[in-house]
Amino acid sequence: MTFAKNNPQTLSINIKLSFEKFNLAIKEELSLRGITGIFGHSGSGKSTLLRAIAGLENKFDGRILLNDNCLIDNTNKHFIKAEHRNIGLVFQDSRLFPHLTVLGNLTFSAKHCKNRQLDLNEIIALTELNNLLHKHVNELSGGQKQRVALARAILAEPQLLLLDEPLSALDRQAKAGLLKLILKVQNKLQLPMLYVSHSLDELQQVCDKLLVLTQGKVTGYDDIHSMIHQLNSINQEVSHSNSNQSEHEKTPDLIHKQTSLSLPVKITDNGHGLTTLALNSQDEIYLPTSTEYSTGACLRCFILATDISISLTEPINSSIVNHLLAKISMIEVQNNKVLVTASCKKIDGEQLFFIEISAFSQQKLALTLEQMVYLQFKAGAVRTYLY
Amino acid sequence: MLNPDLLALFTTLKLAALTTMILLLIGTPLAWYLANMQSRYKVIIEAIVALPLVLPPTVLGFYLLIAFSPQHLPGQLWQQATGQQLAFSFSAIVIGSVLYSMPFVVQPLQKSFEQLGKPLLEAGAMLGAGAFDRFFSIVFPITKASFITAASLGFAHTVGEFGVILMIGGNIPGETRVLSIALFDHVEAFDYAKAHILAISLLAGSMMLLAAIYLLNSPKRDTFKGEVK
Repeated sequence: MTFAKNNPQTLSINIKLSFEKFNLAIKEELSLRGITGIFGHSGSGKSTLLRAIAGLENKFDGRILLNDNCLIDNTNKHFIKAEHRNIGLVFQDSRLFPHLTVLGNLTFSAKHCKNRQLDLNEIIALTELNNLLHKHVNELSGGQKQRVALARAILAEPQLLLLDEPLSALDRQAKAGLLKLILKVQNKLQLPMLYVSHSLDELQQVCDKLLVLTQGKVTGYDDIHSMIHQLNSINQEVSHSNSNQSEHEKTPDLIHKQTSLSLPVKITDNGHGLTTLALNSQDEIYLPTSTEYSTGACLRCFILATDISISLTEPINSSIVNHLLAKISMIEVQNNKVLVTASCKKIDGEQLFFIEISAFSQQKLALTLEQMVYLQFKAGAVRTYLY
Repeated sequence: MLNPDLLALFTTLKLAALTTMILLLIGTPLAWYLANMQSRYKVIIEAIVALPLVLPPTVLGFYLLIAFSPQHLPGQLWQQATGQQLAFSFSAIVIGSVLYSMPFVVQPLQKSFEQLGKPLLEAGAMLGAGAFDRFFSIVFPITKASFITAASLGFAHTVGEFGVILMIGGNIPGETRVLSIALFDHVEAFDYAKAHILAISLLAGSMMLLAAIYLLNSPKRDTFKGEVK
């Protein structure tokens, strides 16, 4: 069950837009393999960018190309309407049609699809909507609504699926469920997706690549793990950029400095409720989870920089289960904090870890570059969103 | 020979039905245009549409009478095109009714289009539905209650019209003699028995129509609850 049509490979964006207090200038070539995350705070321009790609926003200069297909080009007044772009969009607020049932919403989409290839029943099964088909959309929970919205978007068989903060109205459990579903859909259909969110945790779990926007400009675009690691150093400016936002959005710790990992599962539940991930042939990382994983499957997780500590000697008499020998590769002083970067051997190459200690500890330990140290962190500090 | 009051009833119903149909055809795009209009000239068009609500019907009727006369351009053009005089014809009272009942159709539609907003239309566009398709498969079913309200108010208001028709239609049986004018005739002739029959029928008919509208628009029948932002 995959799309036989050729999905686009690249999305080339070169747009400029200025409102009274808001300027946006984005020039980037995105490769559309898997899921590409677009991260930024409110006011960063990420939703505007998504609406421009969708065709719902056309008051800007520049052009957007999907492969060689020009979606909009202001210099020669070329504009393809949203309904002719064959791009899907899952909105934050679902936007299900209130006069139709769940099934009605799905068939609306299927009916409008030219050259249908997907089977309605297969998509219903994939998105687990069997029991909801005849419900009125007002009877659904937030999570159910988004599942219907996702299924409806897929049934239009878009060449590119845009997701605009699809989880932001959901509780944690519903978030995990929908994230899993998005991954499942991506695996089954090989449908390229652009996923916009202000939650790095969400994006860390599902994205292959990450585009970071700050105040309407591209801060970075890279592979998900390395982009998150780059944010550890540049996140000062990213977090402090939103000074004209409301108070609750101003919290500077929206981006937590962290180590982003994707490691194969070695042993599921060792009898004590811990799962073991293989870092390399000797070293392992333990995390608490009761979910059964198939051995060898990769698990995405992250460890906050504040949750790792450094010891000069091996902490063998500690209750902390994770300790790894690592070599310090960078020491950055950030106000009263010190961000230490250390690397461990990984099965393929090396894995960077980011540790935040106080300037006081740095003074006491006198850490230097190339020094070998022990990193320690509790199993509970290894976080994963999905399970 | 048909009872003149029955003939007046028939003329009235024909006038109201035709007026309502024309109003839905003109009023829907106008309401849509107003609901989505950003320009500051919007208030001017809104004021013109709303004018019949406050203007004495005789004022509107007076200007229409002048416009429809063969001495003036609209009347002349009509006469050239159809070979008949426009003033004091059934067509004249249809045009008058359309203008006079316009706000009763446009305003409820405009309000419901504004309440609906763009979100669901954007969702429709993203699923490949074009503009007309979005109107008939999304807007119309969701705002159906407003269409019923608009049509009923337009119809009822046309049935209740008097001043405009008196000015531009005169009192030609089978052509421009409607119920409200027939009632006026009976009163002038001191035939209160016949006047009572017409008055009570108009009262009861209007009452039943309005009750039906309110029943249809009562909250539990309303499918659109405004939950979509």
